[in-house]
Amino acid sequence: MKNLKFLLGIFTIAFITSCSSDNAEIDTEYPVIDITQNAFPIQCSTIERGQTITFKAIFNDNVALGSYSLDIHHNFDHHTHSTEVASCEMEAVKKPVKPMLFINNYTIPNGVKSYEATAQISIPADVDPGDYHFMIRLTDKEGWQTLKGLSIKIL
Amino acid sequence: MKNALSIYWKYCFLLISVLISAEAVSQNKPSEKKPEIKELNEVLVNGNSTEKRKKEESVNVETVNNSFIQRNLGGSLMQSLQKLPGVKTISIGSGGSKPLIRGLSFNQVIVVENGLKHEGQQWGADHGLEIDQYAVNRVEIIKGPSSFIYGSDAVGGAVNIKPLPLPSQNTFGGSVDLTGKSNNAQFGSSFNLFGRNENWFFDSRVTRMDYGDYRVPTDVVHVYSYAVPLYKNHLRNTAGRELDFHLSTGYSQEHFKSVFYFSNVHTKSGFFANAHGLEPRNVDLELHDKSSRDILMPYQQVNHLKVSNTTSFQFGNHAFETQIGFQNNFRREYSHYVNHGYMPPIYPEEMYAPQDLERQYDKDVWSFSAKDEFRIQNHQITVGSNVVFQQNEIGGWSFLIPAFSQFNAGLFAYDKIELNEKWFLNGAIRYDYGKIKMKSYYDWFQSPVSENNQTELEYLQRSQDLTKTFDSFTWSIGANYNPGKLSLKANLGSSFRMPIAKELASNGVNYHYFRFEKGNPNLNAERSYQLDLGMEWKTQNWTFQFTPFANYFPNFIYLNPTSAHDIYYGAGNQVFEYEQSKVFRYGAELQTRYYFLKSLSAEIGAEYLYSEQKSGSKKGYTLPFSPPPSVLFGLNYEPQISFLKEPYFSVDYRFTAQQNNIVPPEKKTAESHVFNLAFGSKVKTGKQDISINIQIQNLFNTKYLNHTSFYRLIELPEAGRNIIVSMKIPFSFSR
Repeated sequence: MKNLKFLLGIFTIAFITSCSSDNAEIDTEYPVIDITQNAFPIQCSTIERGQTITFKAIFNDNVALGSYSLDIHHNFDHHTHSTEVASCEMEAVKKPVKPMLFINNYTIPNGVKSYEATAQISIPADVDPGDYHFMIRLTDKEGWQTLKGLSIKIL
Repeated sequence: MKNALSIYWKYCFLLISVLISAEAVSQNKPSEKKPEIKELNEVLVNGNSTEKRKKEESVNVETVNNSFIQRNLGGSLMQSLQKLPGVKTISIGSGGSKPLIRGLSFNQVIVVENGLKHEGQQWGADHGLEIDQYAVNRVEIIKGPSSFIYGSDAVGGAVNIKPLPLPSQNTFGGSVDLTGKSNNAQFGSSFNLFGRNENWFFDSRVTRMDYGDYRVPTDVVHVYSYAVPLYKNHLRNTAGRELDFHLSTGYSQEHFKSVFYFSNVHTKSGFFANAHGLEPRNVDLELHDKSSRDILMPYQQVNHLKVSNTTSFQFGNHAFETQIGFQNNFRREYSHYVNHGYMPPIYPEEMYAPQDLERQYDKDVWSFSAKDEFRIQNHQITVGSNVVFQQNEIGGWSFLIPAFSQFNAGLFAYDKIELNEKWFLNGAIRYDYGKIKMKSYYDWFQSPVSENNQTELEYLQRSQDLTKTFDSFTWSIGANYNPGKLSLKANLGSSFRMPIAKELASNGVNYHYFRFEKGNPNLNAERSYQLDLGMEWKTQNWTFQFTPFANYFPNFIYLNPTSAHDIYYGAGNQVFEYEQSKVFRYGAELQTRYYFLKSLSAEIGAEYLYSEQKSGSKKGYTLPFSPPPSVLFGLNYEPQISFLKEPYFSVDYRFTAQQNNIVPPEKKTAESHVFNLAFGSKVKTGKQDISINIQIQNLFNTKYLNHTSFYRLIELPEAGRNIIVSMKIPFSFSR
């Protein structure tokens, strides 16, 4: 009886450990948005109306990048905060009249592991100034997604 | 490499199955100890029929009764059943959950209550099962395909909530259930009243539950990359309320029985406020953190009404049963209006829907079934048919799935052959036909469309009129062999599932997961083939059960995360699209209990599951919500104490291994060690016994993540320490 229990235990352990090894071939890593060097905008950046800004960031992935989307929307109600540790000075809560809304997606060449992204975004002269949220969504080819949410100001 | 690996897996699995089986068979000593039979008469009858059913059915069936539920009481029915190996839940906060049987859930597992297939919005991850667990007396769980019994959807398994046993003749009584939980400051009460003269009876119940925000052992949650501080460990806005009514009434005599069932389950529960919408959100902390009991936005309100009649009668050798049922599931999701796509920034005044009504689903289901059970020599044959029609309307300002109507009909024959006392054979065939008709939907706002350098504003069409029909032939064969202490079973069966409206035609944002979901109108009906084995060894002091299975889907329907983003309605969110892939799964559960003494026993319950997609864009990946291997060690002490009846004291330790087999957007989940404590007893008071059950869940307030929780993706730890006290006070009036 004792032996049996012991054997049973051994097999149970063997079963669980031997059968839970990693499947090494699949990609389980998220892509990375790097805004530490020469990037724009960054947390608390300011942008002027009527100008064209150039978005810059470096994207990395262990296998292959997918695509990215950029999104600028107002934060007049302070609904969004950012993914960054530092917080920026905010204006008082206000009602939108003609807030800027920008959403666009961009392709990344196939099979690229590292990509220096740049995109031109023109800021219309007649939009409401104030606190905005700048969102970067990056996927890799397998569908892993990383978000970056930045607080910016349109003057 | 790929092949070598999978062959390695298969052998590994096979070898262990064989070894464990061989071991158990070789054990053949007579045992010395007798476990006490302590159950009440009515439960004992159930116990025996359960035993009999297990020996004669070749599918894997687990049955639990209400005393199991009382001892393991969780926030909702499925949470109370989680101790069973192979049964897990996808929990939505503290008061809702849906079944996850061997890694399958949503529309792949069906729930049957009083013989009626429960139809809610089970396709949604935020949908909890609308079942009142106080009203549950006995639950049967079929781990494995059961389409041949229940038709489409039962590919992964079935949770069958049996009708309440009828009150005994000339009785009048009832009971009061009281429950308190420390973690979410929950108060629950349920009042039951039943009565019967010779043939007429009624059984009624009212249940009320009220709970606050639940607490987790952390003060910051990372919703994707967004840090959200928690006030006093409260998960903001997860409070809820529930009010349920039940009535069953009817007439019963020797050869005729007719029962009407009526139930209405109403819940209102909040969603974690920071993780709902188009992106993780800041909320008004002052407003939200003022009270832990209020339900603010976002929240959901669900009402589930069921009315049915089951009539059975005997006619010669035949036992007929008919059932007519109606159900209405009305679910509303409320959230602040957030414009996306080309929705206007300010909500228009003359809209068809209130400003805060994000979504609304209204489902009516009519069903009819009939069956005849009869014996010809050693064949016990059941033939039957069922017809279901459902109508679904949608509302609210946002769109995810279109309105649709659906018709299903099935015809089945089932034969159980008793070859001799030891051998049983089971065979079943079933034919199903289904038709789903989806309605077209246009946006309520205009979007600019560019054509030939001209931009015009148009109401975009989000879904089209689409009718799809499916039919399917399913079968199942199995055998049972019961030579004394050992019982063996094997079953091979096929199962099918019709694609649902969400999979065929969704086209909108899932506000819980910040993603854009797109249906695929070209999906085929999902098929599944499964081999189930079962081995049980039972002596007086030792029981052992091992249930391995292997399962193949040629076309599993899977929501595939793509690398694209939707910049219109999806507001820049990632696009997830339905696809079909080949899937191979296998796994096993093991349960054993050993009595050291009459009063002291130890148990082990373990489960293992492996799934792999064998084709498609996620080839090599697992399936979402794959439960990691886990082992539960339990110690149970049931001493004899003169003034108490059936006292028990038990300690459980659950080890859950890490889950590294993931698929986007999941995250690897670390292993966890969780301890639970439970004790209780019945106290003799006159004719009736009051029962008291106390549990301390997550004894050490361990911070851990549950891979299959609805909130896992946002790194939300499971509930902290929770002390649960429940009490059942029965009463009766003599007549």
